[in-house]
Amino acid sequence: MNIAVCVKQVIDTEAEKRLDPATWRLDRNVTCILNPYDEYAVEEALRIKEAHGGEVTAVCMGPQKAEDAVRKSLAMGVDSAVLVVDEALTGSDVQATAYVLAEALKGIQWDLVIFGVRSTDGETGCVPAAVAERLGVPLLSTLAKVEVQGSSVAVHRETEQGYVSYECPLPAVLSVIKGINEPRYPSMKGIMGAKKKPLDVKDASALGLDTAQVGLSGSKTKVLSARIPEPRKAGVKIEDDGTGAQKIVEFLASQKLV
Amino acid sequence: MSTQNGILVVAEPKDGKLANVTLESITQARALAVWPVSVVVVAAETAPFVAAAGRYGADRVYVVETPEAAVFRPGPFIDAVAAAAKAAEPALILCAGSPDGRDVAAGCAARLGAGLLVDITGLEAKDGGFVVTHPCFGGSVIVEKQATTTPAVATVRPNVFAREEAPKDAEVVALPADFTPAGLLAKVLDVVCENLGIVSLEEASIIVSGGRGIGSAENFKLVQELAAALGAAVGASRAIVDEGWVPHQYQVGQTGKTVSPQLYIACGISGAIQHAAGMQTSKCIVAINKDPEAAIFNFADFGVVGDLLVIVPALTEAIRRRKAAS
Ligand SMILES: Cc1cc2nc3c(=O)[nH]c(=O)nc-3n(C[C@H](O)[C@H](O)[C@H](O)COP(=O)(O)OP(=O)(O)OC[C@H]3O[C@@H](n4cnc5c(N)ncnc54)[C@H](O)[C@@H]3O)c2cc1C
Ligand SMILES: Nc1ncnc2c1ncn2[C@@H]1O[C@H](COP(=O)(O)O)[C@@H](O)[C@H]1O
Repeated sequence: MNIAVCVKQVIDTEAEKRLDPATWRLDRNVTCILNPYDEYAVEEALRIKEAHGGEVTAVCMGPQKAEDAVRKSLAMGVDSAVLVVDEALTGSDVQATAYVLAEALKGIQWDLVIFGVRSTDGETGCVPAAVAERLGVPLLSTLAKVEVQGSSVAVHRETEQGYVSYECPLPAVLSVIKGINEPRYPSMKGIMGAKKKPLDVKDASALGLDTAQVGLSGSKTKVLSARIPEPRKAGVKIEDDGTGAQKIVEFLASQKLV
Repeated sequence: MSTQNGILVVAEPKDGKLANVTLESITQARALAVWPVSVVVVAAETAPFVAAAGRYGADRVYVVETPEAAVFRPGPFIDAVAAAAKAAEPALILCAGSPDGRDVAAGCAARLGAGLLVDITGLEAKDGGFVVTHPCFGGSVIVEKQATTTPAVATVRPNVFAREEAPKDAEVVALPADFTPAGLLAKVLDVVCENLGIVSLEEASIIVSGGRGIGSAENFKLVQELAAALGAAVGASRAIVDEGWVPHQYQVGQTGKTVSPQLYIACGISGAIQHAAGMQTSKCIVAINKDPEAAIFNFADFGVVGDLLVIVPALTEAIRRRKAAS
């Protein structure tokens, strides 16, 4: 039972967003963290491994410093990692990213690939489905429960009203949501051990990537302009003197909201 | 990229009806006057969806009707939409900005080699192509984007475009349910409804949210009662999801749902950046918080400094009275 988890390094939400006016790209020289959703993916992979044996491999595409996020997953208990780093990959959009991840995944052994449901900076939630399509493997996304049973997997896919349960033979591609588990904190031993775990850094040529399909120039979407919107301004603020509720109703009525 | 052959909207069935975001997408496609506006419906019984698509002005509806499509599965839905795209050769394919819509959009774009534009809040036809608007990083950066391919695929954020009926006799084109075997590997076992009556957060035009300021799990009913009076959906901050007071489906924010309702009422929510990331594109924000320094007041349109345990029930009463009177 081998599992691959796709982990991304994201910009910490607390960090100020700065845009490079020449490329419209986000300045990533700020505090970065392991995508919070990917912690759930890592935890789920580790739990399956603990129950069924096998190896867990983290796969990440990003700049060299994304190694920090990858090391965190290794510290949590992932066995080894592939980090795809290449200047040619910067500016890759969803489909270009999916292409790179799919090619990286083809180079390793897995029965399951687990993703976070979305990244907190890309926020597309689209990479898992695009990767699954490229791999020709069934996708089940937005999962609140995953249970491996022999050579298949039984899952709960969250809906507004509850969930739908599915069963699917392996191999499969999954994405998991917050709340599926409680991600563990890396132990001191885990953190020390992570430094020695195998981390395979690959560039585009090592993966045999077609560079016409990656990076800013290979992406099939282009950013025409970007702007930081005026921050929302504070509106009216009143102290409740017993008429607060009535004042809200009057405000809502003035805005034609009731 | 051109606008020739118009736009194909992928219908999202929801509780036996077309999801609002599908109706919004059809309306916006018509507003661009890029013809034809086609819709593809994939369902076990397509008739009600076809009728709704016509009512909102679709020129043509492609239907793939099969029991296999009774419950969403990415595989067959992607196959069906790809088949409709082959028949319609549209310039743009619009999917719902929902979990199902994202799976279909991403899978189709990968299969068709199309550029994928995600979570759009604006769509224009310009210089013979489409330009979309997309808020990123929780709305803190707004970009204009374009795809370089024909077709392009986009997911549409619910609740941003208007929805207007424009009845038309849509031409109906049936397509065969030819599915790739791999897509059928996932089998639906059961559909479980736990939270009957929840209004979809992403689609709601009014949301009432509660935070730690409600003080206890029991007090969440104050939030629910106000929501019921307004016909609103209920939301929550992460703090009370983590407390276990409400299910995580309610969570709004960076690690919860992104919402853009007409009205967002935050009760006892401090307004942390991670919460704001999921709701700051709401059209109007009302906040009730007893701390005059709470961050939420920095971006609320109307704020009341006071005790929500007093104000919220009074507000519920006032709204009920107002509705009863009208
Ligand atoms: C990686 C990460 C992701 C996160 N993702 C999210 C997310 O998706 N969504 C989210 O919401 N948070 C998220 N958070 C948490 C976020 O930082 C805040 O901790 C959280 O939003 C606080 O919730 P709160 O406002 O309900 O609670 P508090 O911050 O505790 O605020 C409670 C407020 O209630 C007020 N209050 C108390 N009693 C009353 C009363 N009787 N009447 C009126 N007002 C009262 C207080 O003045 C206070 O302002 C995330 C954090 C991290 C680190
Ligand atoms: N550059 C990347 N490297 C590794 N995994 C990624 C990358 N980008 C996205 N992912 C994975 O895809 C999921 C969804 O991301 P997104 O589509 O960007 O919202 C994430 O939770 C990750 O599991």
